[in-house]
Amino acid sequence: MTIPASENSRTVLIRLPKPSASGMITAVAVFILLLLGFMAIFADVISPYDPLRQNLINALQGPSAEHWLGTDDLGRDVLSRLIYGCRIAVIASAEATTIAVLLGVPIGLFIGYRGGWWDWVVMRIVEAIVSVPGIMVAIVIIAILGTGLHRAMIALGILFSTSFLRLARGVVLAEREEVYVRSARVIGTSDRRILLRHILPNIAPPLIVQVTLTVGAVLLSEAGLSFIGLGVQPPDASWGTMLNTAAAFMQLAWFLSIPPGVAIILTVLSVNLLGDVLRDSIGRGIAGDAPQPASAVRVNLPAATAAPEPTAVSRPDDVLRIEGLDVALGGDTGVPIITDLSFGIARGETLGLVGESGSGKTMTGLAILGLMGPALRATKGSIVLNGKDLTSMRQNEIEKVRGNAVAMVFQDPTTSLNPAFTVGSQIAELLRTRKGLSSKDAWKRTVELIDRVGIPRAAERAKAYPHELSGGMAQRIAIARALSCNPSLLIADEPTTALDVTVQQEILDLFRDLQEEYGMAILFVTHDLAVAADICDRIAVMYAGEMVEMAEVNALFAKPRHPYTRGLLHAMPHASDREPPLPTIRGSVPRPGNWPQGCRFSNRCDYKTSACETRIPLVGTSRRVRCIRADELNLGRRP
Amino acid sequence: MFRLIFQRLLALVPLLFIVSVLTFSFTSLLPSDPVDLILGDTGTDEQHEMLRERMGLNEPIYLRYLQWLGRAVQGDLGNSFFNSVSVMDAVMQRLPVTLSLTAISALIAIVVGISAGVVAALRPRSWVDRLATLGATFGQAIPNFWFGLILVAIFAVNLRWFPATGFTPITNAPWEWLRSSILPSIALGTASSAAIARQVRSAMVGVLQQDYIRAARAQGLSARRVLFKHALTNAMVPVVAVLSFQITVLLGGALIVEQVFAINGLGTLAIAAVRQQDIPMLQGLVLVMVGLVVIVQLATDIIYGLLNPKARPT
Ligand code: SF4
Repeated sequence: MTIPASENSRTVLIRLPKPSASGMITAVAVFILLLLGFMAIFADVISPYDPLRQNLINALQGPSAEHWLGTDDLGRDVLSRLIYGCRIAVIASAEATTIAVLLGVPIGLFIGYRGGWWDWVVMRIVEAIVSVPGIMVAIVIIAILGTGLHRAMIALGILFSTSFLRLARGVVLAEREEVYVRSARVIGTSDRRILLRHILPNIAPPLIVQVTLTVGAVLLSEAGLSFIGLGVQPPDASWGTMLNTAAAFMQLAWFLSIPPGVAIILTVLSVNLLGDVLRDSIGRGIAGDAPQPASAVRVNLPAATAAPEPTAVSRPDDVLRIEGLDVALGGDTGVPIITDLSFGIARGETLGLVGESGSGKTMTGLAILGLMGPALRATKGSIVLNGKDLTSMRQNEIEKVRGNAVAMVFQDPTTSLNPAFTVGSQIAELLRTRKGLSSKDAWKRTVELIDRVGIPRAAERAKAYPHELSGGMAQRIAIARALSCNPSLLIADEPTTALDVTVQQEILDLFRDLQEEYGMAILFVTHDLAVAADICDRIAVMYAGEMVEMAEVNALFAKPRHPYTRGLLHAMPHASDREPPLPTIRGSVPRPGNWPQGCRFSNRCDYKTSACETRIPLVGTSRRVRCIRADELNLGRRP
Repeated sequence: MFRLIFQRLLALVPLLFIVSVLTFSFTSLLPSDPVDLILGDTGTDEQHEMLRERMGLNEPIYLRYLQWLGRAVQGDLGNSFFNSVSVMDAVMQRLPVTLSLTAISALIAIVVGISAGVVAALRPRSWVDRLATLGATFGQAIPNFWFGLILVAIFAVNLRWFPATGFTPITNAPWEWLRSSILPSIALGTASSAAIARQVRSAMVGVLQQDYIRAARAQGLSARRVLFKHALTNAMVPVVAVLSFQITVLLGGALIVEQVFAINGLGTLAIAAVRQQDIPMLQGLVLVMVGLVVIVQLATDIIYGLLNPKARPT
């Protein structure tokens, strides 16, 4: 046996399963169910008394040394009855669940496979059954079969078989689609075999989950039926019949209701919890928690080497001015997401914020709006909009700024409009709440805006729901909404990425047009340099949370100075190309928390030297670049 | 909107038909002979045969079904075998009782479920969320009738705030009606509020991550407005889709909870009907309950259509 030496620099990280709270709960649930099974099997041995032996002298006593849980109205020992009740609970849930599975699964498989008329009739019958309260269905079946444990369980089995039937049918239908799609030729017998082979592994996980759900429901229903006298019949001890007795003596001996109640709750709770655990571990399509940036590794930024440079020349007509902005996940000591970001945008100017995904460009837009989410915070620097610093504002103050002074257009118009309301009402709502317009004026103005963004028949389209509009049309609406309160800054986050190529150009033209008319500043976030080249006056390139180059658009294209910018330009398809961008930059943007110590681009850079391992400052005034070798390298666009 | 209602109504016709066939044929499977039930051991064979003829029991079953259906459509569900009162009268007399419990418990379940779900969704993993999740988990494991017993022990026997048993019709004394319905309704509604809370939470967490929520905030709408108008409207869509199922469960639960509080509602009627093998009574009860469920379904379908424009017929 070899054990990796601990002093080895490549220490093997062994993740021991942490004794998490949910793990503990699962263990307790399993323990309770095992205990239940044990008591059910060995009831005769464990129980201190015969559960049916009466002793009227000792009736209705509280807990004592002889009778740990007291005695009932006939002097029978409650503990013994509770233990025998375990046996009935196990028998009941096993019986009803087995019947439900044996009845439901084959019928479901059959109708799913046969389809057509059979399927229609059986499904209508199932619909009819589930439209009657379950307990009433059970009552009718019991009326036919008679009362008693086994008969009641047959009734419950029939009742719960409907859910297994639907489950099996659903699996067959889904798999049948799969099989037909994959095998072009469909031949009778082999087709049937293929189907079966596909169904069996696919039905098992949901079946197991459904079984646990059913066991819980059976336990509750059995107790309920026995409680109203239609299930287990006295004098047999089931938890339901015990509660029936207890109900009659609530005034005299309320304690009688506690042991069977607690037994039912603990059992059902354990079964349900186990079902949840099973569903989470084997169920499909579990919505995982949002991935957390790796928080284990913290980048220790070399202090002070990169003090905010005075390079950013403040221009008098700047609408927005960001100065030395730091954004971190989890406060001052957290993982940095954006560092040392400075730029300004003037009235009527369009600044492109360019970079691969993960470079922090979208986060910059959200930071301006103060919408980064609860975990992220601006830890340093300022965001000054129209002379007011947004970073020092309170929530309700910044709410007034949004929409009025700054508005945003998002990437996917079909998801950024609320599906539940008409597009017009979503614009009119802003005009009413933000501008104080009357409903009538707001609607009139809404129609004008929709008309302004180039949508024909605006009055009619205003009453449409988002899903009734094409992507391009919806994006025009989103733009109209953003413009509704005349913002001085418009943030556009990849506004053309989700659209058709032909529509892209129209939307870009619309932006240009609107800027000419309203004169707002635009921060245009995109990963697409071609789009940026089309619409922007200046371009800022971002990489791993910082700006690596900023230049006037023609200068940047003519002579990129940062190796990353050059890589992006190389990856650009030629104007006529329909091919996807060429992947000339190897690797991908490192995630926050995993940035290299010196130049953050160093692990992908072809020009890296030892000098690149220190923090690189952003230098220059009108043209700025963050590369130590910028002056010596000659990075033509296409060497 | 009218088209939606019409479409839904049309879809109900086959459902009601199948329910009526099932109800009729299943209750015909009852082991007992109605003639024996009515006459008991007394009566000669001729008397038995005469009654059999008079009740139409010698006719073929499909004819008996059609006759039964024809009368049922006119609101005549026959007479109880046991005490020959009209089934319709007996059911209608008990209906307000069960309906009160179902309605109040549904109200409790919806209000508590939505508030708990929203609060939990707003602060995922906070103590509020954990508490709500814990409450929801327990709420679904507690038998409603046991919870009723405990409520009686605490609030009726000990504190004497509410009556332990019985039911006062709303027409007699509205205040007493509320007092007598509140404990059973809480007992009944807890499990449903837990189920609704779980659904609201997961729907709300999903909606809050949507672009349109961030977009609405980005346009400067207040957090409260975005939450209660934009997010909740969308989060309610999946919840409303299963609401009629929850109300069906409540209606069934009412049958049992009534027994805890010695309330003379449909549950008592049903249990007696089983014991007495009272076929017309069971048939009538099933039909009336299906009728209620269908009305609830229709209502929730309409609300669903209002909340979710994509569900509307075009
Ligand atoms: S500083 Fe060095 S590693 Fe970074 S981009 Fe320039 S040359 Fe490459």
